[in-house]
Amino acid sequence: MSLEMKHVFYTYQEGSPAESHALQDICLNINEGEFLGIVGHTGSGKSTLIQHLNGLLKPSKGEVLIDGININQKEAKAQRKELRMRVGLVFQYPEYQLFEETVELDIGFGPRNMGLKESEVTARVQEAMALLKLDYKTLRKQSPFDLSGGQKRKVAIAGVLAMKPKYLVLDEPTAGLDPRGREEFLEQLQTLHQQGMTIIMVSHSMDDMARYAQRMIVMDHGQIQLEGKPHEIFSQPEKLLQIGLDVPSLTKLLLELKQRGLDVRTDLFEPEAVKDEIMRVIKEKDGRGIC
Amino acid sequence: MLKDITIGQYLPGESFLHKLDPRTKIIAVIIYMISLFIVNNFWGLGAMLVLSLAVVLISRIPLKFFFRGIKAIVFIILLTVVLQMFMTPGEPLWEFGFLKITKEGVRQAVFMGTRLVLLVSVTSILTLTTTPISLTDGIETLLKPFQKIGVPAHELAMMMTIALRFIPTLIEETDKIMKAQSARGADFESGNLLERAKAMIPLLVPLFLNAIKRADELALAMEARCYHGGDGRTRMKALQYESRDAIAGAFCLCMAAGAFLTRLL
Repeated sequence: MSLEMKHVFYTYQEGSPAESHALQDICLNINEGEFLGIVGHTGSGKSTLIQHLNGLLKPSKGEVLIDGININQKEAKAQRKELRMRVGLVFQYPEYQLFEETVELDIGFGPRNMGLKESEVTARVQEAMALLKLDYKTLRKQSPFDLSGGQKRKVAIAGVLAMKPKYLVLDEPTAGLDPRGREEFLEQLQTLHQQGMTIIMVSHSMDDMARYAQRMIVMDHGQIQLEGKPHEIFSQPEKLLQIGLDVPSLTKLLLELKQRGLDVRTDLFEPEAVKDEIMRVIKEKDGRGIC
Repeated sequence: MLKDITIGQYLPGESFLHKLDPRTKIIAVIIYMISLFIVNNFWGLGAMLVLSLAVVLISRIPLKFFFRGIKAIVFIILLTVVLQMFMTPGEPLWEFGFLKITKEGVRQAVFMGTRLVLLVSVTSILTLTTTPISLTDGIETLLKPFQKIGVPAHELAMMMTIALRFIPTLIEETDKIMKAQSARGADFESGNLLERAKAMIPLLVPLFLNAIKRADELALAMEARCYHGGDGRTRMKALQYESRDAIAGAFCLCMAAGAFLTRLL
C-alpha cells in the first residue's frame, strides 16, 4: 500500500498570460511507514505537490493513486471523501483554520465529518490531544483563540490527527515556532512515525531533514531534482547550493574547512561523524608536525 | 469558482489604452455610458457596437476576459431581457394567456441586452488596462474639486486602494481555508441550502478573524510610516496629460455628439 504519483503535471491558470507550470512530470512513490522529506525553495512546487496527495488539486495530466485507487477517476467519486481522509494534510500555519468555540469541538470537527459516533469522537479527541501532549481536562472547554501560538498550532494538528490518517502530510509544520516548541514537536512527530504512521514533511530546515527524514526529494522548478537518502543528497552540496538551497550546518562547517585547505570529507552531517572526521584530520596534521 | 472573479483585475500591457492617463479613461467611460443610453435607434446602437469592438481590439486584451466578465452577470442580463420582452406594452406579436410579447418589447429587450453587454465590457476595459493604484489616483484627482463641499476625496481613494489591494489576498485566503477544511472532511458542495449555509461557518469564522487582524496590522504599519491623511501628501508619480489624452478626449466628444445626433434624426 502506498501513495503514488504517476507523471503528474499541474498548470496554474492554463491559457492565460499568467500561466505557470507548477509541476512537471512528477513520479513519486511513497511507501507505507516511511518518513519522507520534501525540500525546495519558495515556489518550487512543494505545496502544489502535497495538495495532490489527497485530491485537493487535480492534476492537469497524470494520475495520483491512494493505496492503488486513482482518486480523480469518476468511479472513485463515492469513495473520494473516505480516500481523502486516509491522507491527513496539515497546511502551513494551520492555526488559521481554527473556528470552533472550544478546543474539543474544533479537534472533533474532522472525526464528526467522518460520521463517527459521539463517543468515538470524544475518544479520538482525547487520543489526539494526548499524542501532542495537550492536557484534555484543562483545555477542552477553552476557546482555541485564547491559546498561545504554539498551542494553537498543536490544536490544529490534533484536529488532523484525530481523523487517524494513514499518511500524514505536513507543510512546514515548525515555521514560526520557537526553538523549544520546534524541538518538542519534531520529537512527537518522530514518535508518531515509530508507531507506524507514514510521514511526509515539507521543510526548509536541512538540519531537521538530516535528523528525521529517511528519504528526501529536492524540488526545483516543479521537478524532482534529487531523490535519495539524506546522506546521498547531502553528499552533493554543490548541486544543492546551485538550486539555491542550503546544506546542514555541520556539512557547511566541513565545506568551509575544505575551502581553507583542510582535506576533510564533506558528505557528513551527523554530529558524531563530523566530530570524528575533524579529529582525524587534525591528528593527521599533528602527525606530520605542520600544526 | 473563485477564479471567475474579475473585479479590479488588471492585465499588464503596452497598448494605447494602457498608456492613457487614468483620468482620461474614467471620464471617457462616463461619456461612453451616457452616450450608450442616449442612443435610441438601431443605427446608433450598431455604431456603438462597432466602436466598442474597435476599443476592445485597441486594448489588445484577449476576448475571453470579456466573455468571463459577461458570464458572471449573464443571469441579470437574461432577466432584464425577459422582463423587457413581456412587460412592455404595445402591439402584440405573440400571446398566450396573460403572457404576451410585443413589438416594442422585443425592441426594448434587444436594446437593453446590448447595452448591458457593452457596458460591462467597456467598463472592464477600464480596470483591465489601468493598475488599481493609478485608477484610485485618477479618482482622487477628479474628486479633489468636490472636497470644498465636503467630499472626503483622499479618504475615499485610500479606502478603495486598500479594498482593491486586498481582494486577491482574501480570495487566496478563502481558497486556502477552504482547502484546509476540506482536508478535515468539510463539504462545501452538497446538501440543501441550510446545510450549505452551515458549512460556511468553518470558512467564514477564520476568514473574518484574519481580515480584522490584518486590518489592525495594516493600520499600525501605516501609522508607523507616519500616515496622517491626505493633507500635504505628494506623489511619486504625478499624473500628467499627454497628447494621446487629447486624441482620446476628442474622440469621446465626437462619440457623444454623434449619440445626440441619432436622437435628433
